[in-house]
Amino acid sequence: MREVSFGQYYPANSFVHKCDPRAKILFLIVYIVAIFLGKDFYALGACAAVFLLAALFSGVSFRALLRSVKAILFLLLFMTVLNLFFYEGTTVLWQWGIIRITKEALYYTLFLALRLFLLVLGSSLLTLTTTPVSLADGLESLLSPLKLIRFPVHELALIMSIALRFIPILTDETGRIMNAQKARGADFETGGLIKRVKALVPTLIPLLISAFRRADELGDAMDARCYSGSKVRTKYKKLTFTWRDLIAMFVGTALLVGVILVRIYL
Amino acid sequence: MEVIKFENVSFSYEKAEDGERDVFSFQDNFALRGVDFSVQEGEFVAVLGHNGSGKSTLARLTNGLLSPDEGKITVFGLDASDENNLFDIRKQVGIVFQNPDNQTVASIVEDDIAFGPENIGIEREEIGKRIDFALNAVGMSEFRHATPARLSGGQKQRIAIAGVLALKPRVMILDEATAMLDPRGRKEVMDVVLRLNREEKITVILITHFAEEALLADRAVVMHGGKIALQGTPTEVFAKGDDLEKYALVMPRSVRICRNLTQGGLRIADSMDEEEIASGIIGALPCVDVKTSEAGTGLTAKTRPEDGEHGRVYCENLSYVYNPKSPFATQALEGVNLEIRSGEFFGILGHTGSGKSTFVQHLNALLKVPTAEKKYKEKKPKKGKPLPPKTLLTVNGYDLSDKKTDFRALRSKVGMVFQYPEYQLFAETVFEDVAFGLKNFHEDWSEAEVRAAVKEALETVGLCYEEVKDKSPFDLSGGQKRRVAIAGVIVTKPEILALDEPAAGLDPLGKEEIMRLLHDIHSKWCKTVIIVSHDMDEIAENCNRAAVFADGKVLLCAEPKTLFVNAEMLLSRGLDLPFTAKLTRALLGKGVAIDSDFTLGDFVQKTLDFAKTNGAGMRLTDERGQNHA
Repeated sequence: MREVSFGQYYPANSFVHKCDPRAKILFLIVYIVAIFLGKDFYALGACAAVFLLAALFSGVSFRALLRSVKAILFLLLFMTVLNLFFYEGTTVLWQWGIIRITKEALYYTLFLALRLFLLVLGSSLLTLTTTPVSLADGLESLLSPLKLIRFPVHELALIMSIALRFIPILTDETGRIMNAQKARGADFETGGLIKRVKALVPTLIPLLISAFRRADELGDAMDARCYSGSKVRTKYKKLTFTWRDLIAMFVGTALLVGVILVRIYL
Repeated sequence: MEVIKFENVSFSYEKAEDGERDVFSFQDNFALRGVDFSVQEGEFVAVLGHNGSGKSTLARLTNGLLSPDEGKITVFGLDASDENNLFDIRKQVGIVFQNPDNQTVASIVEDDIAFGPENIGIEREEIGKRIDFALNAVGMSEFRHATPARLSGGQKQRIAIAGVLALKPRVMILDEATAMLDPRGRKEVMDVVLRLNREEKITVILITHFAEEALLADRAVVMHGGKIALQGTPTEVFAKGDDLEKYALVMPRSVRICRNLTQGGLRIADSMDEEEIASGIIGALPCVDVKTSEAGTGLTAKTRPEDGEHGRVYCENLSYVYNPKSPFATQALEGVNLEIRSGEFFGILGHTGSGKSTFVQHLNALLKVPTAEKKYKEKKPKKGKPLPPKTLLTVNGYDLSDKKTDFRALRSKVGMVFQYPEYQLFAETVFEDVAFGLKNFHEDWSEAEVRAAVKEALETVGLCYEEVKDKSPFDLSGGQKRRVAIAGVIVTKPEILALDEPAAGLDPLGKEEIMRLLHDIHSKWCKTVIIVSHDMDEIAENCNRAAVFADGKVLLCAEPKTLFVNAEMLLSRGLDLPFTAKLTRALLGKGVAIDSDFTLGDFVQKTLDFAKTNGAGMRLTDERGQNHA
């Protein structure tokens, strides 16, 4: 009964949704590189503008986007505070005892926070607009040159896809086993850390056994369906680059070039 | 043409190096011994047998998941023990396994169906066509882009079948593929299988515990102790009543009714069809030669004396919503009113998703009434609006709508056995596992007290304490594991015991044993026993009273006698009837009214009584008491 929305995929039929996952992954890489190359607010501004453009064409609501930032809010605050007080600067804005805030620290902190913020927003835009399956497909395709050095790209992608497939099943199962142990008086809610970890043993062991049993059965089912590794395998879903991906690549390249130019000439 | 041929095949799971394990098991370690078996093209073969009889081994050997120790297996003329042939054999012979969750590799239906064709290197366009074909064949075309995790059990199994079909096999093996499904899902799957056999001419090997399914086959094969014990048309096989018992199988209820009637003097030929039996009964009436009979073999439930609040469940206006205030919100219960009296053996019926499990989880506060939540604050009623109706839930004297209730004390008094309870076993020894609940609830008990209680619980579930206490629960057989899991719940001596599908997944004999055990527990140990079940025969045979859940509401709550008279209502909800009720309906259609409580024993008795009083050819069709013979 429990609904698990893993990978936070946001179903829609937008421009960004329709892009090839490879294009989106490459775009994200370029975007991240641009963020890290950018040394001032101009560069970050350009990144933000590109992000806003992508977000606009993704059909994902801003609330959904901001929700993904919530997860790292604590980290963001922690870093901000740390930087604000400990960054060495010369122009003091405010001082109380040994605690002081300098203009440079303020500038640097804001810059860092914005960088992190844009980073997280960009990556969540990818997971929000791409199903886990096509993400795995895209990665497999992008990494396929590694096959030359015998890197098991296909196996890796399959493992990823199976793992994603079993997450909701195992989550459900965890709930069921916990309930069964609760009915036998297990207490997961009180006590110190050690007591709580100990209380998980009666859940984890059956879960582990069940996972092994499932793996065994799945292995048989895969064997029975003629699985034998990647040798003769074909692929049903073929990834194709379209004009959309060209546009995305163009925007990405423009951003990168722009940021590099700013870095050199400003 | 012979598509599969076994010649003198033997197979053993435990190879010579660890021969020590079979000292403890009473079966020797051969899963198959000297089996000769063959299947013709286009045939529909049902394979029956108790758990551990070698059925699944047969399936796995056929498509090369296992290879035989001795003998020869030929599939489409290819030697199955030759590794080089495996690929070709697996293309021809597909297997659908038991657990619907453990057969899909992808998170989207079409990707999963594409998996097989991709493996054998089919071209893209052709894969697309095969997906169309396979989904169409199982009637799931509109679910092409769905996520398997969101589908029902029956739908998941149909997807698994489609995944096999996409390889265009000529033989399909179903290894207890319906065992974990509810009746609706079972029917979905069987309809598909039948159609594939009839229309697509696919050879089917159906491994099953369900007599009704085996009956659809052209041939039934009974396995016992790794050998083929019996073969013939399904009707022939099921008619061999005494032999079946020898092979640890259970006669279908229909055959049992025929037997009992015949024993009572009303000669009825064995049959599985209610119309046929009804005609048989009518036909036998004129020349009836009624002896006093001992027809009562059923486990008719006795109500124990009522004991006030102890063992009582009272529920008024209970509603429950999963994931409230989210797009996934589902109303699981809606204004449920229900009373389960102390001393009853109570049944809860309904489809998957009807709310029955949600209801049962409320009984020991695994799900809580909103007013019992820690965070609950009383809302002030809005002016001009009537107060929303209050939810009342008392179980065993505990008020579950009050957050001050001691929920731990409640849980020790209301035991809950979940579906497949053996999957919750975790400890190193049986003793520790059973003692787990006890130690949680009674931290102050001495070793001796705990030992005594564990011993008593294990003995109550029919296990020998000395023999099992130090064993690992994982070394026990399936049925024994389930008993240990039940012992782990009743060890705290709950006054109410609720069980969700206690007999699910067991073979018919195992089912009967578990039900007998529950009656034992009911008469000696727990005041009230509540079972959730899909199996109408189980409810008719065992319960004093039962409630039917549908769409989160209680549709009906009555004694089986009243419940199954409302046949139309149950049938219109897609629920089944117990066989006795089907037979009663068939008889009524022919003008004979038998007024039984729908247990097998009572039905046979009442039919014999009817024959006695209306003997010598009297019929109800015309005026009562008139002799038309």
